[in-house]
Amino acid sequence: MNIFIQSLISGILIGGVYALIGIGLTIIFGVMRVINFAHGDLLMLGMYGTYYLFTLFNIDPFVSIVFTIPLMFLYGGFLQKFFINRVLGSLPQNQILLTIGMGLIMSNVVMLAFTSDYKILSTTYSSSSFNIMGISISSPLLISFAITAVITAALYWFLLKTDTGQAIRATAQDREAAQLMGINVKRMSIIAFGLGSALAGTAGALISPTYYIFPQVGSIFTLKAFVITVLGGMGSIVGATLGGILIGVAESIGGVYFGSGWKEVVVFVLFLLVLLFKPAGLMGKSNT
Amino acid sequence: MAILEIKHVSKFFGGLAANSDVSFEVEQGMIMGLIGPNGAGKTTLFNCITGYYPPSKGEIIFDGKTMNGLQPDKVCKLGMARTWQKVRPLAKMSVVDNVMVGALCRTNSLKVAREMAMEQVKVVRLDHRANFLAGGLPIGERKKLEVARVLATQPKLLLLDEVMGGLNPAESEEIIQLILDIRKLGITQMVIEHDMKAIMRISDRIVVLNSGEKLAEGSPEEIVKNTEVVAAYLGSE
Amino acid sequence: MTPTGGISALTKLFSTKPQKIISNLLIGADTTMKFPLNNNKGISSLAVITSLVIIALLFMLPNYVQSTYALHIMILIFINIVMGSSWNILGGYTGQYSVGHSAYFGVGAYTTLILMQFRQIPPWYGVWAGMLAALVIALIIGSICFRLRGPYFVLASIAVAEIFRVSALNLKDITNGAEGILTTEIPPFTINGTVITDFASKVPFYYTGLVFVLIVILATWLIQHSKLGYFFQAIREDQDAAHSLGISLTLYKNTALGISAILTSLAGSLYALYVGFIDPTTVLSLELSVSIVLICIIGGIGTIFGPIIGALVLVPLSEALRSNMVGEALISSGLVSAESKFGNFLTENLSHAHVLIYGILVVVVILFMPDGVLGFFRALSAKKHKETV
Repeated sequence: MNIFIQSLISGILIGGVYALIGIGLTIIFGVMRVINFAHGDLLMLGMYGTYYLFTLFNIDPFVSIVFTIPLMFLYGGFLQKFFINRVLGSLPQNQILLTIGMGLIMSNVVMLAFTSDYKILSTTYSSSSFNIMGISISSPLLISFAITAVITAALYWFLLKTDTGQAIRATAQDREAAQLMGINVKRMSIIAFGLGSALAGTAGALISPTYYIFPQVGSIFTLKAFVITVLGGMGSIVGATLGGILIGVAESIGGVYFGSGWKEVVVFVLFLLVLLFKPAGLMGKSNT
Repeated sequence: MAILEIKHVSKFFGGLAANSDVSFEVEQGMIMGLIGPNGAGKTTLFNCITGYYPPSKGEIIFDGKTMNGLQPDKVCKLGMARTWQKVRPLAKMSVVDNVMVGALCRTNSLKVAREMAMEQVKVVRLDHRANFLAGGLPIGERKKLEVARVLATQPKLLLLDEVMGGLNPAESEEIIQLILDIRKLGITQMVIEHDMKAIMRISDRIVVLNSGEKLAEGSPEEIVKNTEVVAAYLGSE
Repeated sequence: MTPTGGISALTKLFSTKPQKIISNLLIGADTTMKFPLNNNKGISSLAVITSLVIIALLFMLPNYVQSTYALHIMILIFINIVMGSSWNILGGYTGQYSVGHSAYFGVGAYTTLILMQFRQIPPWYGVWAGMLAALVIALIIGSICFRLRGPYFVLASIAVAEIFRVSALNLKDITNGAEGILTTEIPPFTINGTVITDFASKVPFYYTGLVFVLIVILATWLIQHSKLGYFFQAIREDQDAAHSLGISLTLYKNTALGISAILTSLAGSLYALYVGFIDPTTVLSLELSVSIVLICIIGGIGTIFGPIIGALVLVPLSEALRSNMVGEALISSGLVSAESKFGNFLTENLSHAHVLIYGILVVVVILFMPDGVLGFFRALSAKKHKETV
């Protein structure tokens, strides 16, 4: 029973980070209807950035998100303006291929620059944990969950209470109508991609103390991000939040009971089941 | 003899009743007009009839067979074909190839299909465009292409959804003549249209839908004098 | 955030119309597209003769070319043509973009090698088993994925391929997991005791590859000129319209997938036998699936020659990078000094850069040549001849 609760808790904690990744992806899809296959690679860039800030300048990974967020935001905006924007009217298949290509470029440039060697970011607290009633809780995971919660709350506030945030939501709901009402949808797309990238990069920063860092790490997270967003409902932020936690838990418990090699299969099978039986996801937003 | 019987058909989308207890019959060889203000449920009814989605309630009987739940391809094979309110040309294929796709419903031979297709292309007077890509045609010709394409499937019943929408008067007149010619071939037709003059000219009988319900049914003269029908249109103006 | 004003928004709305008209005209002008025989001349006899001459030359090539490296490149090109053309049947003609085709490649590869290495079943039977396995898997995958449209189909195809890859990693008893399978020796091919060929040299692989290419091209040509071709393309152009015209979506999509899967598994089997070593990362990876799609989109989707062009571009390019030819050429030509940092960087890393080049190619093609090389040139020539096909 202890094992169950333990894996449940660590699943929830990692699920928080997954939720960040999923929210980023769902914002991008919501506003632009683009399926961003480079999302995991944005996370990977966040990981590497955090790693070098730590090894070169001794900046703690959790502190360094202060840099990661704006930098990744700008980078994402740049990508949208010069690449993604050109295919907004094309076939979805072409959009996916474009983002796949961009992802390949990012991961392989990193590989050329920094080699494929696995890097490990060890902080003093990387492996520390503390004990509550016999359940061991990893400290870095707990801290990242806390930060995630804060960021998510800030994001909700931004989307609900600010003008720009509401404009983004309007664009996501109905692009044409938003445009007719005077919203600069091009700008919203840039902001949305910037936001999504910032969230992905931040997620990367948050998990860097507990994950191996290597150039191909992105693809695993991209697929997970999709499962999360489809599960939660493409375009629904609440759905992505719930989906992230659900996937974190499913993976954690699945890993315990089926063996860690099969963890991913659990996630993919879940993905297929959702696509088949409730493609609109838990929060069921309308899609194509 | 009724080729199509619509019996108490309802279609719900969530809480919305797009069609509500609609019943009428279409006799073989006639042209039945289907009119009503926007949102009355006309296209929804077509979609139910042709199997795009099943009706929530009621029965659809074509040529004596119950059609509920049949897939659109089976519906077409049984002899019922439809055109689309928003035209759907197979854009990267030529005009002839488009119509051949319809013809291949009835034959496996490309040669025969091509002959059948060229016949229909001539009927709708698109022969000068036979080898053009469908995606490059202007709207009037796209509509004619769609008619040629469904004619190639050798339907017994043809459902035309706003086939005159977006056409200028000369183009509309061509379509009207086409519809009358199709009747001469013995093909039954049900026509959704907003062009009242056209509907009055071509229809043998008219069914009026409003907010999902059947409001009235009768000959064109009867419908024109029906105060409820007039009110429905003026009210929604 | 200031409203930009209803007028400019309205202007944007109205300005899309002329753009749409222009793009319609461009499509209309792009006439020599995919489709066959609306003209009565059929295939020109010139094309037939040229093709036969080229095929004959290719058959004679190993007699005159001794370089094993040249043969090696040709074999890789053949394998790539088969991969690309097979995908083309499902993706190019039927419009279902699977980015998980490595599943069929890998199934062919693994079935053939497992039967040969662990059961001593010769590959000329193993290849058939691979095709059968690929077909079965394709039908299962089709029944799951074809309910989904567009991007969701793409995602599902990727997820399925990943399930295969991870399973191959985990089912060590069957597949040797991450260690992969290494072939020892392919038994000589005999008929009634006479040895037709052994597999010591590259030549039998060359001919097998050539035959597979001819099979795939023939299959594509037959499809294009049959009812299947019309129905596949109709599904690609407008699925709902096709459905309403009497085309059973399930039947035809699965037919396309089945044919595509079987032919892809041929490529996988040949690759496995030729290279002699497979593992989940080489034959079941997402990178492989992407490169399969890339072969088609570079050349031009939905055409017979597109995948050929794509293979002819990709294989030499990636081989040049892999073998460091580019690096060495730059150094020996004096442009880059061997001792300089850049020179060192090139020699060490360019061989790993081929995936990076794939990525760049994908981006460039999608942004600037979405119809591939063939489509690009067609669009250019279409500006000269405006009307008929």
